[in-house]
This record gives sequence, structure tokens and C-alpha cells, in this order.
Amino acid sequence: MDLRLNEDQEMFKKVAADFVQAEAPTTMLTQQFLKKETFLPDLYTKIAGLGWLGMLVPEQYGGAGLSYLDCGVVFEELGRAPVPGPVFSSGVLAAQIVRDGGSDAQKQELLPAICGGEAIVIPAIGDHGAHWGPETVATTCSQSGDTLTLQGTKRHVYDAEGATAFLCAARGGDGGVSVVLVDRNAPGVTVTPHNGYMVSVSEVSFDGVEVPAASVIGETGAGWDLLDRAAEKAIPLLCAYKVGACQEIYEFTVEYTNERRAFGQLIGRFQRVQDHCVELSIHMDRARMATYETLWELDEGLPAEAGIHESKAAASEGYHQACSYSHMVHAGPGTDYLHPLMVHSVLAHTLYQYLGTPDYHKRRMVDALYPSA
Amino acid sequence: MDFNLQEDSPEMTEFRKEVRAWMEENMKGSEHLRWSASWSTRENEEEYNFRRGLGEKLGKKGWLFPMFPEEYGGAGLTVDHQFVLETELARYSLNLTHIFYTLARIISPVLLHWGTEDQKREFLPPIARGEIVVWQVLTEPQSGSDVANCQTRAIRDGDDYIVTGQKVMVGHHLPPDVLWTLVCTDPDGKRHENLSWLHIPANLPGVTIQHMHLMMGIKNAVFFDGVRVPAKYLVGGENNGWKVAHTHLELEHGGDGRVGTDPVVDRVVEYCRNHEVGGKPLIDDPHVRDTIADMILEINTVNRMNRRIFWHRFVKEPHAYGGAQFRYYQRMVRLRNGERLQKIMGADALIPDHNVHEVLDFEYVIRSGPGQLHGGGTLDTDRLIFARRAGIGRATKEKAPDTV
Ligand SMILES: Cc1cc2nc3c(=O)[nH]c(=O)nc-3n(C[C@H](O)[C@H](O)[C@H](O)COP(=O)(O)OP(=O)(O)OC[C@H]3O[C@@H](n4cnc5c(N)ncnc54)[C@H](O)[C@@H]3O)c2cc1C
Repeated sequence: MDLRLNEDQEMFKKVAADFVQAEAPTTMLTQQFLKKETFLPDLYTKIAGLGWLGMLVPEQYGGAGLSYLDCGVVFEELGRAPVPGPVFSSGVLAAQIVRDGGSDAQKQELLPAICGGEAIVIPAIGDHGAHWGPETVATTCSQSGDTLTLQGTKRHVYDAEGATAFLCAARGGDGGVSVVLVDRNAPGVTVTPHNGYMVSVSEVSFDGVEVPAASVIGETGAGWDLLDRAAEKAIPLLCAYKVGACQEIYEFTVEYTNERRAFGQLIGRFQRVQDHCVELSIHMDRARMATYETLWELDEGLPAEAGIHESKAAASEGYHQACSYSHMVHAGPGTDYLHPLMVHSVLAHTLYQYLGTPDYHKRRMVDALYPSA
Repeated sequence: MDFNLQEDSPEMTEFRKEVRAWMEENMKGSEHLRWSASWSTRENEEEYNFRRGLGEKLGKKGWLFPMFPEEYGGAGLTVDHQFVLETELARYSLNLTHIFYTLARIISPVLLHWGTEDQKREFLPPIARGEIVVWQVLTEPQSGSDVANCQTRAIRDGDDYIVTGQKVMVGHHLPPDVLWTLVCTDPDGKRHENLSWLHIPANLPGVTIQHMHLMMGIKNAVFFDGVRVPAKYLVGGENNGWKVAHTHLELEHGGDGRVGTDPVVDRVVEYCRNHEVGGKPLIDDPHVRDTIADMILEINTVNRMNRRIFWHRFVKEPHAYGGAQFRYYQRMVRLRNGERLQKIMGADALIPDHNVHEVLDFEYVIRSGPGQLHGGGTLDTDRLIFARRAGIGRATKEKAPDTV
């Protein structure tokens, strides 16, 4: 056993931390979140320049070909800010879908562009709100000759604002799900950002959108399996991002207990305040330990399915709970939209159900450990 | 024992008929607002204006504070009448003193208890009849939980006090008429013996109000810059403010009690009946049903606690720890329910529904969840009060102040 980062990873961590401090300071993010402008093209270009899009993608396709742990370290730092934008959704998840399902030509065309930041490809998977699974795909896809026509609306698509293309999950006449690449500017595609207690979520509708039949990624009708496998490989990095967010919350919360006074003493002296910090730390560390172990399992080629789902449940729930406990410590001042906690609180709610609620992933974890007969 | 909320004495049967008919008449055309949250900083003008108008109409009849004497803006009725009114309003998810966002529900009984005869005659009727908006203005940048650490100064000068200082996180997005405020009248005095309670008209020169954007809506910073407040507006006597605060905070800390119910479950069920995943309505999903079961159990408990406090208050046998216990539990339940809504509806629950006739405002339940934990005192304050009142670690239990 060795719980240290290696030298390279320490370096990645430092570079990422310095970048976040210089390019995505909290004061800027609170403003951007307040305005709900969370797709920041300049920041995204800089991130592409550092090679952080497609970190897992092999070098032959323009990626960095790094290990999961290497990437996890960077994502943790990005989550601390938290740096918004499609670094995960395009740079990891979409890239993985294309890697796992794309033909060689599709890979050659899409992956270098994703890694370079010129293409922002956003998965648009379930049509409904809460649930995750093939039953949530209602958008239809009908073929006539060499043309596919898409019809349907995806209620909640994360990171759609900056998209140049979508990977749309659609159901064919035979009921099978396919993954279809759709240009953002294709006639019939509409992106409508949502208002509400969340950021970077839009409704995306495909209204009679026509695309060439060759736009299907992977096998026609086998799209759900492709999405599910790719999501499993991508999710641990999303978890690392949330772990970073929890770490940041934990640190500024503990700092606050050493600054704020009530009844003539530091609030950190009150056992009740200490109790909130204990709970916060458990949510953070629970997510951290599961996530890093899973990243390691993936690097080692060990069975990781249960760990992936456990991490996702722990990280989504943990981020959400870390915010709640931090709110308990900060009380009034923490509810001001100009406080960094609010940036996290909004994002934690946004990400809670992204790619499946914690409950869903808990069930998947049990299924992985104890498959039903 | 008698848990019946429906069956009335003959006299109350008549009164209920009257109230029901009156409500039907006055809700006409605004039924789509019937799912309104129980208190609201939402910036929905239509809803606000409706509620404010309804509040004034109820006030005119003396029904906002039915048990108050008529000369103070009430109707001189009995606790049974109050009960009928509350239960009839609850049919529309409304409750009496929360009709619109004013702190009248607390301020009126406190004035009744602590005000001089002149103050009661001057201040009470417009407050109790819902004609004016009063804000509770206590919190300062450096004194939140520790309210007694109040730094806002009021210096006596002839017939006035000159008030200087700053308050934060108070009120809502619409302008107030009166600021109901704690000030320090003796900077060198002993803690708890140096404070006074002031009724400050919001339009006096030197009062500045600045919006703060908080997660549950707009609150405000209030600056007092040498504001001259007539000394006759001091409530409860000079340097007696902490005692007034006790009466006031007992109501703020859960001691007021209500008989209404939280309609969130009905709304969730409605949503789950109308939404399908994979061709099956959500209401048939066993996981969803489990989650709803948890909500029902906790909300029923909240409602019963609240009703128990109501009863204790109006029979004038205050429940010592009931308020603190209720407030702690209710707010944690509300926080948990926010997460449950996300479990059931996912991101749908995060979108505000401005068409309030639909199953509105899940977004508000969620967004306000972590913020409502601190309003009027934190969860930790609730638990601290509980411990004192329940006699945990102390030989004598602290008593609840007299009910007002
Ligand atoms: C939704 C909302 C509405 C509000 N409305 C109003 C209003 O209308 N009028 C008004 O005057 N104010 C209002 N406030 C302010 C509110 O009353 C304060 O936020 C609250 O009293 C807590 O004070 P604080 O925020 O300064 O937290 P602090 O007092 O700084 O508390 C920080 C932390 O220390 C803990 N703590 C403090 N003292 C103790 C102790 N002795 N033992 C254990 N733990 C302790 C707290 O529980 C908390 O965890 C509102 C706040 C909110 C969020």
C-alpha cells in the first residue's frame, strides 16, 4: 500500500492548482455563476492548451494518454475552483463514447478536435429529469435512405451552451437506442438554457433534424450499452472533480471557524460547530477514498464496476451534504450569492442527478457486487 | 383527548360556514395561487399583491388576529374561532398570520404584551389588520446568534433617540413601513441590561436600505445614520430590551404554533401521476413510493408538533421545549425533502414553475433548504434552547416565557 501521489502527479497537481488560482479565481466565478454565464470560451481554450481535454485519450488521437490517477489529480484541482465548462462532458465523456464506439474515421475526425477544444461534443442522453437508463431515451430516430431524422426533446443537457455538436441518444423503429452525432447548427436543433437552482443546464430539442446515416456512433441499436460502458469509464473523473470541490469547502469552512466569533469566542470552540465539520469531513473523505481507489483499479485493469458506482453515489451525495454542513457552519453569510459556498451549492444541486442519482448508483453497485440470479 | 379538527359545536358550525363562504368568494379568480408557499420572498408580484389584498380584507374583519380586542385590530373572538379560521385557510394552503410577508405574527402579540396603552392604540391596529409591513431587524454583521452583542447605538437626545449602526439579512424585496429593532442604549452597561427595543418608521431621514442577494431571495442591509426616532417609540422601557427580545424570540423560535399542513406531498404525488418514465407513471415506481413514504412520515410529525404548540399556546400552558424541538426538526425535514424531491424528479425539481397552478415551487423548497436553517436563529440555537428547556445537564429546567 502507498497512498502518496508520485512525482509527476504532484507536479500535475501544482500546475493545476496554480492555473485555477490565476485563471479561475473565486471572485470571478461567483460573478459568473450569479450571471449564469458558466461557459467561458477563453478559459476553455487555455485548458485545451494545457492538454487537459482528452487527458485519457491516446496520443495518436491528439490526447495525452495519461493514467486515471494522473487525470484524477487534475480534475480534483479543477473541482476546487470549481472550473465550469465542458472539460468533463466533452473532454472525458464524449471522448470516451467516441473512443469506445466510433469507427476509425470517426475517431480521426472527432478526437483530435475534442482534445484541441475546437469541437465541443456534448452527450444528450435521457429525455427525462431524474432517471438514468435506456427507458429514459424517448427521442426517436427514423431512417429513410441515407438520412436519419431525429425527433424529441432532451429536458436537461449539461454543458450544452458551448456545444458544437451533440451525441444524441435516439430510439429507432425497432426500439433499439442509437447514438447519433448531430451538428449544433443543424436546422431543427434548439438549445434553451434553463433558469433555476442550477447552472449550465439547457433543454435541447431535435425537431425533425436530418443527419446522414453515417452519423451513428457505434452499432445501430446498441447505443445504450455503448453509453453505459463509456459513462462508467468517465464517471470516476467527475467524482474526482466533486472530491476537489468538497476539499475546498472543507478548507474554507474550517478557516471560517477560526475567524468568526460569537458569544466572545471563536465559533470553532462550539462542539456543535465542530460536529458539522466532522460530518463534512466524512462526506469528503468517503468520496475521496472510494474515488481514488477506483481510479487505481481502472489503471491496474482490475474489476472496477462496483467502485465506480460507489464513488458516484458517494461523490454526488457527498458534494451535496458537504454544502449543507458548510451552510450550517456559515449560517447567514454563507447564503449570499457572493460567497464561494453558493457557487458550490448551486453546482452540487446541478450535478446531484447528472448521469444518475446517488440512489441509482447505489443500486448499480449492489447489482455489480451481487448480480441477481 | 380529542384530535378532531373537523367537527364543530353548533356555534362554530355556523362560523365555519361563514368563513368558508367568505373564502370562496374572496379566492375567486385566484384559485391558481392556492399552492402558495407558507412564507415567501419570491418576487412574484401577482401572488404578493393577491396575498396582501387578502390579508387586508381578513384584517378589516379582525380575522388576522381574531382573539385580539377590537380596539387593537382584532375581532375579540375565542380560540375556537381562531381554530376554525386557521383550518379554513389551510384548505388553500394559507395560514393566518403568514398571509403576506410581514412579521405581524410576532410583532402584534409582543406589542400587546409590552406596549404602553398609547403604543397599542397607535401601532397595533394597522399592524394587526395587515395594512402595513413590519420587518424584524435584529441581525448585525458581528452579531447573529449572539443577538445580545448588538452594536447599533441609540443615544437619548431630548425627546428623541439618535440611532447609528447597521443591520443585515433582514426583510424582503418590497419596502417596509416599520423596522422593529433592537438597539444598544447603554454601551457601558452590563450584557443583557444595555439594550432597548425600538419601533422605527422606515421613512425617517437617515435610514438607508440596500438589497442583498441571498439564496432564498432578497434580504437587505439597513443602515441607520444618525436617525432621530421619537423616544415614545421605545417599547418595553429603556434597557429592558432583552426581556422584550425574550417574548419576541419565543415566537420566532417555534412558539407560535399553526394548524396548517405542508402541501408538498400532494404536489409530489400530482407530479408523479402525471410523469412517466419508460411508459410507467412515476407513482408506480417502488423507490419513488418509499421516498414519498418518508416524506409523509416526517411531515405528519412536523404538522402534529406544530399543532401541539398551537394548542399549548392558546390554552396558555406553554410547552417548554416544544418550540425548539419543532423548529429543529421542521427545518431538517425541509432540507431532507429538498433532496428527496431531487431523487424523485431530478433536475425537473430545480426549475421554478411560474405557472403556480401546476405543481409549483419544488425549486423553492430546494433552494431555500440550506438557507432556512438559519433564519431567526440557527439549528444549533434550537438545540441549545431545547437542552435548557428539557433540563439536559441542569437540575432546573428553564421555563418558557408566558405565552402571548
Ligand atoms: C433565510 C434567512 C432569513 C433571515 N431573516 C432575518 C430577519 O428577518 N431579521 C433578522 O434580524 N435576521 C434575519 N436573518 C439572520 C439570522 O437571524 C442569522 O443568520 C442567525 O441568527 C445566525 O447568525 P449568523 O448568520 O451571524 O451566524 P453566526 O452567529 O455567526 O453562527 C455561525 C455558526 O456558529 C454557531 N454558533 C454560534 N453560537 C453558538 C453557540 N453558542 N453554540 C453553538 N453553536 C453556535 C452557529 O450555529 C453557526 O453554526 C435571516 C437569515 C436567513 C438565512
